[in-house]
Amino acid sequence: MDHSVMSVADTLPLPRASRRAAGRSAFWLIAPALVLIGVFLVLPYMNIVLMSLRPPAVGAPYGGGFTVANYAHALGDSYLLGVLADTLLLGFIVTPICLILGYPVAYQLARTRSRWGGLLYVLVLSPLLVGVVVRSFGWLILLSGNGVVNRLLLDLGWIHTGLQLMNNRVGVTIALVHVFLPFMILPLVGVIQSIDPSVESAARSLGASRLRTFLRVVLPLSWPGIQAGTVLVFVLTLSAYVTPVMLGGAQVKTMSVLVVQNLIDNFQWPAGAAQALVLTACGMAVVALYARLTRRLSKGLA
Amino acid sequence: MTHAPLSQRLADAAGRVYVGAVYAFLLLPIAIIVLMSLNAGEFLTFPPQGLSLRWFGALFANEAFMRAIGTSLALAAMATAGATVIGVAGALYVVRHATRAREALRLLLMLPLMLPEILTAIALLFFLYATGIGTRTMFGLVIGHVLVTLPYVFTNVASALYNQDPSLEQAARSLGAPPWRAFARVTLPLIKPGIITGMLFAFVISFDLFNMSLLLKGIGMTTLPLQLFDYLRWDFDPTAAAVSTVSILLTLVVVVWVDRAVGLRTLRFG
Repeated sequence: MDHSVMSVADTLPLPRASRRAAGRSAFWLIAPALVLIGVFLVLPYMNIVLMSLRPPAVGAPYGGGFTVANYAHALGDSYLLGVLADTLLLGFIVTPICLILGYPVAYQLARTRSRWGGLLYVLVLSPLLVGVVVRSFGWLILLSGNGVVNRLLLDLGWIHTGLQLMNNRVGVTIALVHVFLPFMILPLVGVIQSIDPSVESAARSLGASRLRTFLRVVLPLSWPGIQAGTVLVFVLTLSAYVTPVMLGGAQVKTMSVLVVQNLIDNFQWPAGAAQALVLTACGMAVVALYARLTRRLSKGLA
Repeated sequence: MTHAPLSQRLADAAGRVYVGAVYAFLLLPIAIIVLMSLNAGEFLTFPPQGLSLRWFGALFANEAFMRAIGTSLALAAMATAGATVIGVAGALYVVRHATRAREALRLLLMLPLMLPEILTAIALLFFLYATGIGTRTMFGLVIGHVLVTLPYVFTNVASALYNQDPSLEQAARSLGAPPWRAFARVTLPLIKPGIITGMLFAFVISFDLFNMSLLLKGIGMTTLPLQLFDYLRWDFDPTAAAVSTVSILLTLVVVVWVDRAVGLRTLRFG
């Protein structure tokens, strides 16, 4: 900050009233954003609820009047409940794997003083900027029956028949972990960077082993990053569409796949809306439960 | 530093191998696509049968892909323009003028990033239909892309504004510059790196956006990610790898550009 300029401005302060008037006339700056988000985000989200209560119709996406039949179906049909359970299970599998793979990378990235630090940051960030179709396609090439992984393992003589690595949950899990790993690493890097390294040296100099220092000092202090990353990855996994379709084939059905099918192929908008809201409610319930169960961890920090 | 005990050095080495393996995992699918696009053979088989650029030739001859690339570039340009105007103005208001509502407004402008993209797309599809706007024009699609890219512009510009002293503009004002002039000559040059970063991000994010385009595109219209997705349902040849490589190169150009302009460490992702 340039202090000489600041003192010039301080001697010429705008009177409070005129500043408030300036704030009012500046309102047009925020108006376009408010209109955009109010009209094209908030209203449409409220409208999903309305749509989920519409009856189905023939020849149109939905009929007139209101009904709760879509919810009764979404919550009473054993096939739908199975898909919902599978979707949540996928979230419970992908999230911890991302944490286990991502934490050491985040720690190293936050603490490195190497001149390659910038490049490593790019390596974490760039997959995020490559489209999800492209990345899933990369996994198709790697995991297909005649793909790179099977080819290499066969040539090395480690296996004798090709492994089934896609069109099942294995392929979807691998690709989803890849797609969402940066979302775990980036919040963690920020939080770990803000932990003062001298806290670690203090614990070490008081005789704590490296493992103990990590478990009792660093890990608890990085809790906000762990929480942010896990919630983000879990929610993203629940709503993933492209990767389950491309790597799961007809074998892996997730809720998002089903919802899009209902919207685009079957033209059953009310059913799709109800299913999307049931999935959202389940996801929010899991996140709320998670926050509650880990409240002591978050409180201990404050 | 004294010599660390052997066990500790082993643990360090194991840690480095682990972290290196995760980096390899992150890069693997992207590297394999680039490699496969240079394959001289007929199929996406490994190892590649010699190097060649023939599949890039096939790509440029593929009308559907070229049209999809054109649509995606146009859409990304429109979305970026919209998100930039709305996002820069919004950031100026939130950082410089908002008082009590500052935090609430910040959250509101970041909202599209916090909501699942596919749910937003579904909500917009219903809404466009209910209001009679429909998906015959690109209007809904552009609105959807602007919504998703807005937070990237807003957050990068807002953080540039926070790091910059508002009294500079006040000084210009008190020396007689009209408001727009004080903004254009003092504030704008200072927050330019933030604007550039936000715009580049918005462009790449929009170019790659899938769910929004899937649900809001008009009949007969297609973007590059949609066309690639459709293509891979029936064909599995290196043309798909070539078009993916083009998309990866676009990302690379943007990353290098941002790094040159402002340094990647300053990026704001949320």
